[in-house]
Amino acid sequence: MRNDSSRTVVASSAAGWPRARVAKLTGLLALVVFVVAFPRMAADPFILSVGVIIMSYAVLATSWNFVGGFTGYISLGHASYSGLGGYATVLLILHTGVNPWLAMFLGGVIVALLAIPIGIASLRVRGASFVIVSIALVLILLLVFQSWGSFTGGSNGLRVPRPFGDEVLRPEQHERFFYLHAVLLAIAVLCWWLIDRSRFGTGLKAIREDEDKAQSLGVPTFAYKLVVFVISAFFTALGGGMYALWFGFLDPIFQFSILTGSYMVLMSLLGGIRNVFGPILGAVIVGYAMEFFKAQYGDTQIHLVALGVLLGIVVLFMPDGILPALRGLVIRFRPQATSIREVTQEELTRDATGSREESATDRGTGTKEEVSG
Amino acid sequence: MSDTEMQPRAEPLAGSLATVGLSKSFGGVRAVDDATVTFLPGKINAVIGPNGSGKTTYFNCVTGMIKPDSGSVSYRGNDITGRPPHRIAQAGIGRSFQLCRIFPRMTVLENMLVSVRSGTVLGKLVSARQRTDIDRARELLTRVGIDHLEHAEARDLSYGQQKLLELAGVLMADPETIMLDEPAGGVNPALIDRIGGLVRTLNSEGKTFLIVEHNMDMIMSLSDHIVVFDRGSPIAAGAPEVVQDDPRVLEAYLGV
Ligand SMILES: Nc1ncnc2c1ncn2[C@@H]1O[C@H](COP(=O)(O)OP(=O)(O)O)[C@@H](O)[C@H]1O
Ligand SMILES: [Mg+2]
Repeated sequence: MRNDSSRTVVASSAAGWPRARVAKLTGLLALVVFVVAFPRMAADPFILSVGVIIMSYAVLATSWNFVGGFTGYISLGHASYSGLGGYATVLLILHTGVNPWLAMFLGGVIVALLAIPIGIASLRVRGASFVIVSIALVLILLLVFQSWGSFTGGSNGLRVPRPFGDEVLRPEQHERFFYLHAVLLAIAVLCWWLIDRSRFGTGLKAIREDEDKAQSLGVPTFAYKLVVFVISAFFTALGGGMYALWFGFLDPIFQFSILTGSYMVLMSLLGGIRNVFGPILGAVIVGYAMEFFKAQYGDTQIHLVALGVLLGIVVLFMPDGILPALRGLVIRFRPQATSIREVTQEELTRDATGSREESATDRGTGTKEEVSG
Repeated sequence: MSDTEMQPRAEPLAGSLATVGLSKSFGGVRAVDDATVTFLPGKINAVIGPNGSGKTTYFNCVTGMIKPDSGSVSYRGNDITGRPPHRIAQAGIGRSFQLCRIFPRMTVLENMLVSVRSGTVLGKLVSARQRTDIDRARELLTRVGIDHLEHAEARDLSYGQQKLLELAGVLMADPETIMLDEPAGGVNPALIDRIGGLVRTLNSEGKTFLIVEHNMDMIMSLSDHIVVFDRGSPIAAGAPEVVQDDPRVLEAYLGV
């Protein structure tokens, strides 16, 4: 009897699913079409190079979000992994002469292996401590790579051998790297999506919400965090390696920069860390804004100020980021949507009547009488 | 078994949850002080005592949330002292928290799918949410009466509904022993009845319960065995009607 009313509620929310899915797929398709068409639409090589930079940021932010978005552990030092990925790729090419793309992949694997002890050490601490440990690592790596000149090129930097021959002209280079980054991004997104719908992903999100509670439900929280941390470092390193191959030059001061890590955080927070497309949207907005400010005002620090203001606005007015804020707007203006609050009010009264019947039946089957008798 | 045999012993009963000399201090406060308790397997055990008598800390020590300073916890013949909480949960001890803890930004159904009874991290990574798990989750949600809210975010539930969700989430892992910290705290009388009914039914299906509770009506009608805590130590244990008249209990509660 009580199932009748509950079934209608379930049915109405189930009917809402396909439409949301259609909207999602349409959006995804539009995104893919745009990405494929972008190099054709780009007016000049400069715009195309901005496209590559934004793509690279999208890869890095999405990679960061494996840790930040799922577990809520905010790493400000993810430049460690992009920087190490870049250096590992280039040093492998220079010292072993392997194929650049194989070098990039091996670089990712090496960084993932390095991330295991780093994760074991840093994931024991939560909150601000974790943030500080992540920053400390970047600073240490910066010092090491600056001073170990014989191996890393030191502060003079390191020239990166080009994966495509000199006969491939600049615009063509940009276009190829734009697509290569897009493929890497697609793989990262796919991986994020797979985790998101797995039991592992549910456990990770539970860690983000309440780590101790998750553990009390049997989730091996430390192992979960470590695995996703290594996955994040792997993709971040691939992003760093690919960017290095495109950019053609490595300098420790840019590779191991707190700013790079901060961008990943800002982009993800801006777009929304709970959504797979949040960091990408954030990368487009922040990446575009930064290049705009740089083009407009030259190499001043004004873009940093602008970014700071942007971050402030987001944190104050859209704590969950743009995507959830947009979704909230859509839901608010959809007429047939019933708020859950209304349902709970209605259910509350139903609960009260329902429970009396239930406990009455339970009393019949209860074991109490024999025990207390 | 007669109730008089159910005094706390250092000798644990087979298959039971027991602690020997369990102690935990916070600074100068001896929150749990030399607690030697044996709970009856398959029964509804209650832990009562005045506020601040160490019941929650005792639960935290048993479930590994807090490392005890000394003493031991054994479960089904195994020493589980100092094991991490997820291992203890996987050994079959589920628990709820005094101030209901759920995952507020996850849906009700997602909340149900958090618990892990066994399996490797890699296994969980590759396995999408199983149909069987979802069916089981829905079954339990129906059982506690909030199945119609499965797509709602947990934070949008009323406090009572959140308590039911927490209980259902604990049941998801099918624990043999369930520890509830004040299940009736802050909920309306109708819901207290429902929770009591659930406990009784689950117990008849074989679940062992350890319940911390202040609601004496609930405790007296529900429990088979009561352990009374005062200032961190168990001062009395036995059947409800025995404990009820124990002068030490009256003193602890009324200060006479
Ligand atoms: N994390 C903590 N830090 C310091 N003191 C605590 C902590 N938890 C509990 N206590 C103290 O331990 C004693 C027992 O508390 P608690 O176990 O919560 O009792 P109960 O659950 O029986 O009300 C109290 O004096 C309380 O103040
Ligand atoms: Mg308590």
